[in-house]
Amino acid sequence: MQKRYGTIFVRARTKIKMLLRKLSAFIKRDLLIEVSYGFSFFLTILRILSYILVFFFIARLLGKGATPYLKPYNGDYFSFVLLGIAFHGYLSAGLHTFSRVIREGQMTGTLEAMLVTPTNIHTILLLSSIWSFLYTSAEVLVYILIGFLLGIDFSQANITSFLVMLILTVIAFSSLGIVSAGFILLFKRGDPVAMAIGGLSGLFGGVYYPISILPDWLRIFSYILPITYSLHGMRNALLNGSPIGEIMEDIVALLIFIAIILPVGIISFRYAIKRAKTDGSLLQY
Amino acid sequence: MSYAIQTINLTKIFNTRSGLFNLLSGEKVTAVDDINLQIRRGELFGILGENGAGKTTLIKIFSTLILPTSGKVIINGFDILKDEKKIKRSIGLVTGEERSFYWRLTGRQNLRFFAVLLDLSRNKTEERIEELTQLLSLRGFMDKRFDLYSTGMKQKLSIARGLLHNPRILFLDELTRSLDPGTSMDIRLWIKDLTRKGYTVIFVTHRVDEAEEICDRIGVMSDGKIDLLDNAKEIRNYFRKGSH
Repeated sequence: MQKRYGTIFVRARTKIKMLLRKLSAFIKRDLLIEVSYGFSFFLTILRILSYILVFFFIARLLGKGATPYLKPYNGDYFSFVLLGIAFHGYLSAGLHTFSRVIREGQMTGTLEAMLVTPTNIHTILLLSSIWSFLYTSAEVLVYILIGFLLGIDFSQANITSFLVMLILTVIAFSSLGIVSAGFILLFKRGDPVAMAIGGLSGLFGGVYYPISILPDWLRIFSYILPITYSLHGMRNALLNGSPIGEIMEDIVALLIFIAIILPVGIISFRYAIKRAKTDGSLLQY
Repeated sequence: MSYAIQTINLTKIFNTRSGLFNLLSGEKVTAVDDINLQIRRGELFGILGENGAGKTTLIKIFSTLILPTSGKVIINGFDILKDEKKIKRSIGLVTGEERSFYWRLTGRQNLRFFAVLLDLSRNKTEERIEELTQLLSLRGFMDKRFDLYSTGMKQKLSIARGLLHNPRILFLDELTRSLDPGTSMDIRLWIKDLTRKGYTVIFVTHRVDEAEEICDRIGVMSDGKIDLLDNAKEIRNYFRKGSH
């Protein structure tokens, strides 16, 4: 019995080691490609800076405490919108990365080269997406840093609450992305999942304005979108220092969302792979 | 006798889809039609046929990229429907498609990346890259970016990737398609040499002369069927008589 557990342990350790090597290989590949484009990240910083400045001046125009809708966020529109647009990046990464990985791999022919290796497509897809989340995290850091330099007060921030929200946010948005990837595998173009969620999130998710400003009947859309809970929890964690208990509603909402969408994503993606292999369209674009 | 590849009544029918959501069944196209094939270990087997004959579909089924509609395929003793991972460890696929690398990475960086996906250890990877660099005369190119490679060098790197994990069976699909005659001949000689080293090679081409020159046996495909299967000499005579 002891020998059997020993063998299982050694196998598990070898698998984890191999997975970490693969993770590192994917990150290294994407980093080398990114670096080969030289000024790319520098230009991203400039883009972020100009975007932030637009909202900085709009916030100045509005002034502090100009509207009661912002009261839960100390009346400051700039800090509200900065966190909204920064963390909206995770939604974009989660929604688009998986389908982009598949489509780029199909178009460049690298997907076929990867699929004839013993590494399965789920691992390839997951590891290929990591760079996108790391890049988004670097962008979020830039947003937060510039926001700090422009006077946003993060001294109250509760890092534990923030990290819990961040992890749940990435998993929730990735679940939607997996559904979207399945769609791209089957139909190649015109992914309605990413289009609908992306569009509705910008409108009703509380990115640019609090959802309390929306009429009641429109707010229904806000309550079915994960970004609403994600941004609400993140803002409270970073601006108001809310502990886990105070953002429990947001955590539970995201957990329910993940419990529903993640299995749907995995099942639909498996179905899409099987059908694409049957149709011979796995590598077509 | 255990074969490198064995197929029993292998058939692949594609169902072209139509309708608003691509969900309705359309016309049925038989790409591989009831193929029974035995390829011996260490054999250099040619699959010859015109465009659309079903050659690439057959290779993609062997590579586990397409599921067969019916029939059985055993590769290196493993069933393609049950042992996909084991089969992938036994095979290497090299196509004439020169895009399938990361163009902004060097040849070495590309090979290292694919070696990790092939579950090779660090030491084994470096050892194999060194061996293949020598074997394929890639020295001097390995640390250059892939987008600076000539078509011939790209094909060689593609072969190196196919051989990284030392697979027992190698599929070469239209490998010499876009190569100049000199490079093409070099690669054919080199392929011939592979079987002396114990590899089983499946060489797919639409060129009769090329298949005749290096293959032990050739299967001629047309409309998804293998119409003719014989040794290279007989196939040559057959084509010279102009009966095909």
